[in-house]
Amino acid sequence: MAINLASKKILVVDDQAIMRETLKHILGSFGARFIVEAESGINAMTAMRIDSFDIVLCDYNLLRGKNGQQVLEEARYLKLLPVHAIFIMVTCEQSQEMVLSVIDNKPDDYLIKPFNPQQLLSRIKRCHVRKQYLSSIENEIDSGNLYQAIHNCEQLLQQNDKKMRLQLLKLQAELALKIGDFKTAELIYQDILHDRELPWARLGLGIAAFFLGHYDQAVKTFQDLIEQHPVMMEAYDWLVKAHELMGNDDYAVSSLNSAVTLSPLSILRQKKLALLAERTENLPVAKKAYTATIKLGKNSIHRSSGDYSGLANIYLKSNAANEALKILYELNQQFHNEPEAKLRSALLEIEIHQAKGNKALAQQAYGNAFKLNEQFNKQLSKELRLEMAKTFYLNGNSEACDGILNDLVKTNIDDNLFIKDIVTLCNTIIGGNYAETLLQQIKKELVDINNKGVRLFQEGNIKGALAIFKQAIIKIPDNHTIILNMVKIIIHDIKTSKPDPEKIMSAQSYINKAIQVGIPHNQISSLQTALDTIQYKTNP
Amino acid sequence: MLSIDFPAILASSVHDIKNSLTTLRALIGQLENSHQGPKPTEFKQLEFETNRMNNSLMQLLTLYKIDLSQFNLAIDEHSAADIVEDVVAQQSTLLSLGNIQLITQCDDDLLCYCDNTLISNALCTLVNNAQRYCKSKILLSVSQEDDYIVFCIEDDGKGYPENLMPSDRKQLPQIDLANGNTGLGLFFTEIIAQLHVKGSNRGFIVTDNHSQLGGARFKLYLP
Repeated sequence: MAINLASKKILVVDDQAIMRETLKHILGSFGARFIVEAESGINAMTAMRIDSFDIVLCDYNLLRGKNGQQVLEEARYLKLLPVHAIFIMVTCEQSQEMVLSVIDNKPDDYLIKPFNPQQLLSRIKRCHVRKQYLSSIENEIDSGNLYQAIHNCEQLLQQNDKKMRLQLLKLQAELALKIGDFKTAELIYQDILHDRELPWARLGLGIAAFFLGHYDQAVKTFQDLIEQHPVMMEAYDWLVKAHELMGNDDYAVSSLNSAVTLSPLSILRQKKLALLAERTENLPVAKKAYTATIKLGKNSIHRSSGDYSGLANIYLKSNAANEALKILYELNQQFHNEPEAKLRSALLEIEIHQAKGNKALAQQAYGNAFKLNEQFNKQLSKELRLEMAKTFYLNGNSEACDGILNDLVKTNIDDNLFIKDIVTLCNTIIGGNYAETLLQQIKKELVDINNKGVRLFQEGNIKGALAIFKQAIIKIPDNHTIILNMVKIIIHDIKTSKPDPEKIMSAQSYINKAIQVGIPHNQISSLQTALDTIQYKTNP
Repeated sequence: MLSIDFPAILASSVHDIKNSLTTLRALIGQLENSHQGPKPTEFKQLEFETNRMNNSLMQLLTLYKIDLSQFNLAIDEHSAADIVEDVVAQQSTLLSLGNIQLITQCDDDLLCYCDNTLISNALCTLVNNAQRYCKSKILLSVSQEDDYIVFCIEDDGKGYPENLMPSDRKQLPQIDLANGNTGLGLFFTEIIAQLHVKGSNRGFIVTDNHSQLGGARFKLYLP
């Protein structure tokens, strides 16, 4: 299949003028007309905000500022790249790609320097053909319709194109993992491995085992993979997750530490290591990782004021209040108008002044934190709100603490790891059976809301029931039971009234939301099938 | 004692040199574009030499990493035709000179399981060598032989000298690295081939002078 470069918008990112010239010349000789060049990551971002590019050729080693990987991450994060866009990372060496690899943020292809015009064109063509072939799947993934994506994948598989079979199976297994259909993913990977030992399929099998709760088996799989492929970063990432869920935080830290040594430029790995090391009181490792995170964050979309307060807290724990103060100063300089940063800064000030024995200043900082919390309350991340609750309690305002905890438990009731964090905090600072009572009380509240909605539904008052759940979703957006009930009622509503495309879309968007918040496949699949049947009947 | 992290230094130097090579090629390209009238063949020669340098650097780094057990083989399923296309693309500028013809034969449906970057690089080096020793033709073909996919490079030159054709097929060609022998490409390919394993089958290479074009024949077997 030919690709017509004349109709494509192309972005060339390289810090060397001569390389940009050459690439422009080559692309021009193949018919390209719309070529924009950028000599830095920042300029690349600006260019992508102005134009929607079909092809991006980006050098990994950009002299100043962001590197190619950071450009890619940011572009994907800000959704500046259309689904059909081809992003090719230009690197110096093949094995770099392994070390650079970040889950979910791989370029469409790598091109190793030096290359000639024909090599460049052939690479662009191949990406184009592959993307075209998979577009029916990727478009659905982009819209969040994962079940439809799987369906399209199965249809392509039926065409029996030998060359595409394995790629499709890989996608199908990844999608199965995403919707929580772990058994199917496991079967696909086993089938592939039966024919041929392929590292990505082995990794997939380990991931399926992980989600199925077979942690020992998952850990063994990841360890074996690392032994055979010592630079396979994803195997490390999953090994860390498995250790963490098994409660082996120390193992998690040491595995992650090895990964970070091999791949020191990944900010997310450094950040994760910092948090894990802090939790296990491994202060030297935490300090090193936070420092690295801050440094890498300077050019990254993943930079956060939390990295600064994290490092400052480590200094406080090591009795180095003056160092902490320096970091606080940096935090204030780096983040001017961010609510989270302001609050973190205030919280840090309290701790630092307390550590230095300045009661009055600590009190003043507390007042400041109090005001900021009032102002931004629900815009803050859940972790920061939890920290705020702790500060309130320790400063004698248990009422404000209760309010936050109540809301946090309510909105995160299905997030087991975070609920565990809340319970741990309550047990440490408040004690008694505070956490237990709070959990029971909120669970009852949620059951009451659901019961009320379901009762109205059973009485035939569909409108009333929908109103109850709609209201509940606004207040508690990620609650599994509420989302599922909402979908069930909308589907019933469509079945019993005239087919209405808007209602179908609304049901689909709640199903997509259900997948996104991690509701298991066995609870969603029957609803999706019901909706598909309706859609087929209205639009066969 | 001063500790020198040689692998890191080597890797970083290779990156540096490769970057320079890339810039060098770009500069040559610019000169070529600004050149009026018929282009001297020296331009293509320059590309040929930079290709050789690049291949040697890549081999150097790969072999060094294998030696240190720091090497990661990225095995996946690839279309053999795509690998052939990669090799042809890499040789395209030079072939456009017209003195040498590279003929390819590959079934579109052939799939092979390998680290495609490594394999196409190894094949490029060997095709590059073949360009030096052939008269006018090189044949690059891919076929299936029992449990193996076989990449075959044949030319119409004088054939391999004795020392590059072991009588025992299980043996490596005798490569005299100390004397600057050009057999490094063969040695590299043999090492890479051996890293490809399926069950009890392992990749290997065969060198002989049974080329259908009358010269040297090289075969790379991948399980």
